[in-house]
This record gives sequence, structure tokens and C-alpha cells, in this order.
Amino acid sequence: MSASLYTTRRIKNVLAMILSVAATGIGLLFLAWILWETLSQGIAGLKPALFTKITAYREEGGLANAMVGSLILNVIGILIATPIGVMAGTWLAEYSRRSRLGPTIRFLNDILLSAPSIVLGLFVYTIIVLPSQWLTNGDVTFSGIAGGIALALIALPVIVRTTDEMLRLVPGTLREAALSLGVPQWKLTVQILIRAARSGIVTGVLLALARISGETAPLLLTAFGNNFMTFNPLDKMPSLPQVIYDYTKDPSPDINTLAWAGAFVLTMFVLALSLVARFVFSRSKVSHD
Amino acid sequence: MHATVSSNVPTTARAEEAARNARDTRNDRLFAGLLKACALLVLIALIGAATSTLWLGRDAFATFGWGFLTSSAWDPTNNQYGALVPVMGTVLTALIALVFAVPVSFGIALFLTEIAPNWLRGPVSSAIELLAGIPSIIYGMWGLFIFAPFVATTIKPWLMNHFSADPPDGQVSWLVQHVPFIAKFFSSEYPFFGAGIFTAGLVLAVMIIPFISSVMREVFQTVPTRLKESAYALGSSTWEVVWDIVVPYTRTAVIGGIFLGLGRALGETMAVAFVIGNTFKFTPSILETGSTIASTIANQFGEAEGLQKSALMAIAFLLFVVTFIVLLIARLMLRRLATKEGS
Amino acid sequence: MTNMNEVASKPGFGTSPHESGVDLGQVPAKMTVRDLNFHYGEFHALKSIAMDVPEKKVTAIIGPSGCGKSTLLRIFNRIYAIYPSLRASGEIVLDGENILDPKYSLNRLRSKVGMVFQKPVPFPMTIFENVAYGIRHHEKLNRTDMEGRVEQALRGAALWDEVKDKLKQSALGLSGGQQQRLCIARGIALKPEVLLLDEPTSALDPIATSRIEQLVEELKSQFTIVIVTHNMQQAARCSDMTAFMYMGELIEFDRTEKIFTKPNKKQTEDYITGRFG
Repeated sequence: MSASLYTTRRIKNVLAMILSVAATGIGLLFLAWILWETLSQGIAGLKPALFTKITAYREEGGLANAMVGSLILNVIGILIATPIGVMAGTWLAEYSRRSRLGPTIRFLNDILLSAPSIVLGLFVYTIIVLPSQWLTNGDVTFSGIAGGIALALIALPVIVRTTDEMLRLVPGTLREAALSLGVPQWKLTVQILIRAARSGIVTGVLLALARISGETAPLLLTAFGNNFMTFNPLDKMPSLPQVIYDYTKDPSPDINTLAWAGAFVLTMFVLALSLVARFVFSRSKVSHD
Repeated sequence: MHATVSSNVPTTARAEEAARNARDTRNDRLFAGLLKACALLVLIALIGAATSTLWLGRDAFATFGWGFLTSSAWDPTNNQYGALVPVMGTVLTALIALVFAVPVSFGIALFLTEIAPNWLRGPVSSAIELLAGIPSIIYGMWGLFIFAPFVATTIKPWLMNHFSADPPDGQVSWLVQHVPFIAKFFSSEYPFFGAGIFTAGLVLAVMIIPFISSVMREVFQTVPTRLKESAYALGSSTWEVVWDIVVPYTRTAVIGGIFLGLGRALGETMAVAFVIGNTFKFTPSILETGSTIASTIANQFGEAEGLQKSALMAIAFLLFVVTFIVLLIARLMLRRLATKEGS
Repeated sequence: MTNMNEVASKPGFGTSPHESGVDLGQVPAKMTVRDLNFHYGEFHALKSIAMDVPEKKVTAIIGPSGCGKSTLLRIFNRIYAIYPSLRASGEIVLDGENILDPKYSLNRLRSKVGMVFQKPVPFPMTIFENVAYGIRHHEKLNRTDMEGRVEQALRGAALWDEVKDKLKQSALGLSGGQQQRLCIARGIALKPEVLLLDEPTSALDPIATSRIEQLVEELKSQFTIVIVTHNMQQAARCSDMTAFMYMGELIEFDRTEKIFTKPNKKQTEDYITGRFG
């Protein structure tokens, strides 16, 4: 053992530590950079018309129809994905113990979770947009419904996974206690287990909502966009991410400013949602004991 | 034995109970069937995504045959389509993203599990996770308006000065003079243009850092404390513990996490669509503009008709198959960790 | 099993109480266990258990951990059946019918045999709902009747005075001891005939424990109680009969007093005197 060996080892260690801190610094730097640009450029573009006027007025307009459209699309997506996702997650956690299909679906769900959203959008285009075009002789093509279904497909694996995980955290004694009262399994599941895992499941739904709120690609292929305000889910429907996409590509700097304002609103909304989700989740941990 | 007591239970109560039993059994079965049908939707979504793109892409596959995979033509005016350029762009951007994201993520995971004081770990890991929460369209905007100009003014000139045969400062570097072909990978037709494959790769790297680092952090935490402590007890430094104990112990899962990031990078649309340039010229240079599968679909789907639409569906199918395989590998590697943890 | 035969030949045990008519034989058997075997996959967890559980008495099952005492209890209401790869054979006759017969309905079994678990497991609902929940599944009652039943159950579990003003509050806010008594109330609200208690005080402090023990004493006038406990003093304090189990076998089953003063078996004596376990 020589002193020089110790020195080399120490230098190596210090170097590694420095690089590790630097890596973290790089990560945080990019976060700060992106947030700062969104904040500063976005706030500069904020104006009352943003929330009251529609995109048809271009530079003089706002994003009101896009925000309403996003709201409708998200609501459709969550309304479809939540019951299906909770039920599928419940099946995985409570019923699949004796079947080989259970682990397979759990595994595939994890893949669906990170599958390219644009391909899922094309899938919905094929099964919803094309048939509705054909059935209505072209009256209905791209639509809010199609967009909502595409978003539901993206939200689904998030909800399935959290429901599955949260139910598996519910202590087995709760199941035994209910079954020993002679309660049938479906009642036990609906009235006790899902209730016990409630806040965890709500967290999952909120995270799914945050995820789909920022989705753009599948909406281009399903909801398409619309320069006017529409509440009809059979119409082509605008959404905030899609308008941001179009306005970012636009050569006019005034339109770009509107895109930044939209980006600011969208980012705040998504980040606030994930904060709320975290809050709900931290409370759920407390009530679990 | 003594079958006596049961007779004093009234028969109507017995009948009622039998009815209730039958009802419970039936309801239980219905309920389980309903839940299972919902679970099967996950399967249907995956199969549906694959078959629908394959079905609508059939014209392109039939017209161009295997040549579709090897042709670098993407020419709507002459109705000629080949997947090579978008496929190469997709793979190249994803690989560039990994080259930058993996070491940075490793550093972050190392910082969060071994170096940072406890009070700092929570806030820093939340901040990194925040990065994953930002919508991809925001990455795209930031990439187009802020980052691409930054690349054009600082990173790209530096790279070209060192690696291209046509450096802005006019001095061909020693490296380019002595290493053959290297300049081919760093040439640029428009040196002052920030968009390109390299820029897209960097934006993707920032996007996937939170995914890879959070997997790494999680798997590093699964290393038993006693294992690390016994290494520390032998006088190992933090770095030695990490490199000799933590990394070998978690290697499979770490690779799984990297593949997960790769899967994300391959399928990402919006962060790439603005900064890749959307051109279809075949080039080995990472400083040139290009296109990825996802960006091509996003850009062209709206106006595409006939064979072009079919070709878009066909490359979507390729993308789906490739990401499926990558994600499959990722999950398999991560699953092995889960079982290790459990035992 | 030779030792079983030996035990079985003792007066008041093994053969039907109607025939033997000595001591505890005065009390008819509520549940008769014969040749009960239990397997967890490959593991033979219970070996030819035979015992008579006397009606309206407290029967304690003691033994070192892993001896199979909880397993035995969990067969009495077939709660084990929710897990795959567990199987029981033999018979457990309750009021003349074998409850292990697959045709014996679980609804019926579980309305007759109630169970309270080691850790208090209140359902995530109000105190009132916790008690009413099980009743609702077995009987249709109007509101007043239901309120009456809930009150009766809570009084029976000596919890009424503490919770009567907060029936609408979540049961998760109760203390551990209160939660356990709530679980007992939930169990007795179904008016079962047998009440199984699986180490009901192991998660509780001494004061809460003594309240539960007192409660067990009161409840035995109405219910046949089987209690699994790792606490020998508890078995001695509140049971009439005690079964000692070891390695999946029933070593000795007799009056509690007898078990704790002059057990027949060396193993029992060793366990009682703390030489192992």
C-alpha cells in the first residue's frame, strides 16, 4: 500500500463526486431554463383576450376555444379511462391471482404506458375517425369524441397501474375481515377495497389527467383542431396543445407570443395538477395506517 | 355425526339463504367477467395499434416491398416512399439522446442516493421529476425558439471547428486531418442553422433524463445497506462502493431503465418535430437536418392522401414494432429486479 | 396417532360428550373436529387434528409460533379458501353438518361463525356503517331496526358509551383497543353462534387487552368462543378449555385448569413452564 495509491483513489473519488454534482446541476439548469423561458415569455403574452377570444381572430384573438376544447377533450378522456382503468386495475390486483393472463396484462400495460402516443392516435384514427366518416357520408370526420378516446387510451395504462398498485397495498386482513362476515367478493371489492385505496386511485386519475393535458400528437390525428368555439363533441375540436403547435410553427412573431402564453397556461395547469396529485397521495399515506 | 340440530332451522330461511348464495355467486361471476373484459382492453389497444397501422400501411408495403425499408426516397411529388431516412433519423436522435442522458442520469442518481445530504434529496428529486411533468410540446417550443439558436451560435460552431472539414474558423483540426471519415459525420450545409439531428437528440436527452434517473435512483436504493456498509468498512470510497458494488448489483435494471428511456426517445413526437428540420435527404452527418418517424407523421398526416397516407401508416407500424421490442426488453430487465427484490 | 388416542380416552374428551357425560361432558360440543389435515402446497401444516369445541365456553388454543394454531382457527370459517394451493381434508361438524363440505354455503358458515383478527381492521367507513355493513348483507332491516341492532352490537362489545355520540365519524379515528372492540361488535352483530378470535390483543396495550379479556368473559354466555393466543396468562385467565399445539399436532386438549396445573404431556409442561417456545 503506497501513499500514491491512496492519492489516486482519493482523486478518483473526488472527481466522481464533482461530476455527479455537475450532472445534477445540468439537470436542474435545464429545468430552470425551460421553466424560466415559459414563464417570462408566457407572462409577456398574457392578456384578457387570451381567455375571452377565439383563435379565429388570429393576432387579435385569444385561446378561449382551445381551452374549452382541451377541457372537453380531457373530460371525455378521463370519463372513459377512469371506470375502465379502475376496473382493469382491480382485476389485476384482486382477480388475476390464479390466472396466467394477469401478469401478462400487467406487463403489457407497462409497455402501453410508454408506447408512442402518435401511434395510439393513428389507431383511434383508424377505428373511430375513418368509420365515422364512412357512416355519416363525411359529415363527421375528426371529432372531439375521437380525440377524447385517443386521450383515454393514453390515460388508461396510468390509471390501471396506480389502481393495481394501490389495491395491492391494501392489507390482506381487510379482505379476510370482510369475507368472514360473509360479504361476497364483488361487494368487498367495490365497497371496501376500492374505498380503502380511494385516495391512491384519485392520485392516479390526476396524474393521468396531467399526462393527457399536455398530449399533442394524437390530437392532431383525431380532434384535428377548429378555429371556432365548439361544444359539440362530433365537431372537429381545438385544444391548447394543438393550437400551441400550430402557433409555434407560424411565421408571425405575434402569433408566436400567443403560443408562449398558451404554453404558460398549459404548463401551470399541468404542474398544478401534479402538485395536487402529490398532495392527495401524501394524505393517502397517512390514512393508510 | 349428530345430524339433529339442523332440523330446527326454518325451511323458508334455508330457501332464502340458498337464493342469496346463488345470487352472490352469479353477481361475483358477472363482476369478475366485467373486470376481466376491461383488463383485456389493454391487450386490445396494443394489438389494435399494431394491426390498424399495418392494415392501413398495406398499400405502401405492397407497392414498395422490402425496398420500403432500404429506400431513402420520401418524395410526395413523385409518390415514392422509403422508410430509411425517417428510421435513421429516429434511431440517430434516440442514440444521441442516450449518449448525453445516460451519464447525466447516472450522476443524478448517484447524487441522490449517495452524495446529497438527506434534506436535499427530496427537493432535488422532486425538481428532476418536474422535468418529466412538463408537456413535450413545451420542450418543442423551447427547442425551436431558445435552444436551436443557442446550438447555432455556440455548440455547432465549436463542433464544426473541431470535427468538420469546413470549419467556420477556417482551421481544419488535427483530428479531421488524421482520422478518416470523421468529417462526414459533422458536415453541415447550413452552418448557421440550429435545427438538425444533433439538436433534436439533445432536446430528447433533456426529456428522458428524468425517466432514466428515476429508475436508476430506485434501483440503487434496492442495494442492501449491509452490502454497502461492508464495503465501506473495508475502506472503500463512495465511488468505489458505487462502481464495484452498486452498479454490478443493479446492472440489469439499470440497462432496463436505459431501454425505457430509449423507448421514450424513439416514440417522442413534439419535442422533435420543431427542431429536426423535417428534410428527407439521406446524410450521415448529425449536424444536418433530417426527420424522424413521429415528426414525419405529425407534419404530413393532415394533408396526406392515398399512398402517402399509407406510407405514413407503414412507418408508424415500424415505429410501433421497434418501440414495443425496446420496451419489452426494458420491462423484462426491470422485472428481474422486481423478483430479486421480492425474494 | 397414538398420543391422540391417549388423550381421547380421557373422560370428557374425544368421544361425544353425550356419551361420556363427565365434567365438561355436561356441555354439548358445538363443533367437532375429526381427522383434520391441512396442506400449504407441499407443507403438511396440520396433522390429524381431532377435538370437540364445547358450546358457550371459551376454548383457547396455545402453542409456539408456527405450530398451526392460527391455521386451525382459519379453517373453522374456511377463510383460508381465498388463497390458492391451500387444502383441508377431514371434517369439522358444526351443528351436525360438515362445514368443509363444498356444498356448505359460505354465506351460511360465515353468518354462523364470526371472526376477529390479530390487528384491528376497521373498514374505511363510519363507525355505524362498520357494524351495519355485515348485517345488511344477511338481513333486510328498516332504519330503526338497524339502529337497534347496531346499538345492541356496540353495547355487546362494550363500546357503545364511548362511541354513541360519534357514530357518523370514521372508524379509522378510534384507538387501537376501540377499533378491536368495533371489530368484535361487527362480528357479533351478525348473531353468530361461534366467535373466533385470532390473537385479538397482540397489537394492543395492557389496558385495552384487559378490556377485551373482560369482554370475552361476558360474551361466552351467548357465544361459543375459540381464541388463539400466544399469551399463556391470557389463556389461563379467560378460557375454560385449552388446546396445546406443537408442530401441526394437537398435543393435549383439556380443561384449562388441568393444562396449567398438571398437564399429561411432557411437551405441554415444558411449554407451560417456559422451557421452550
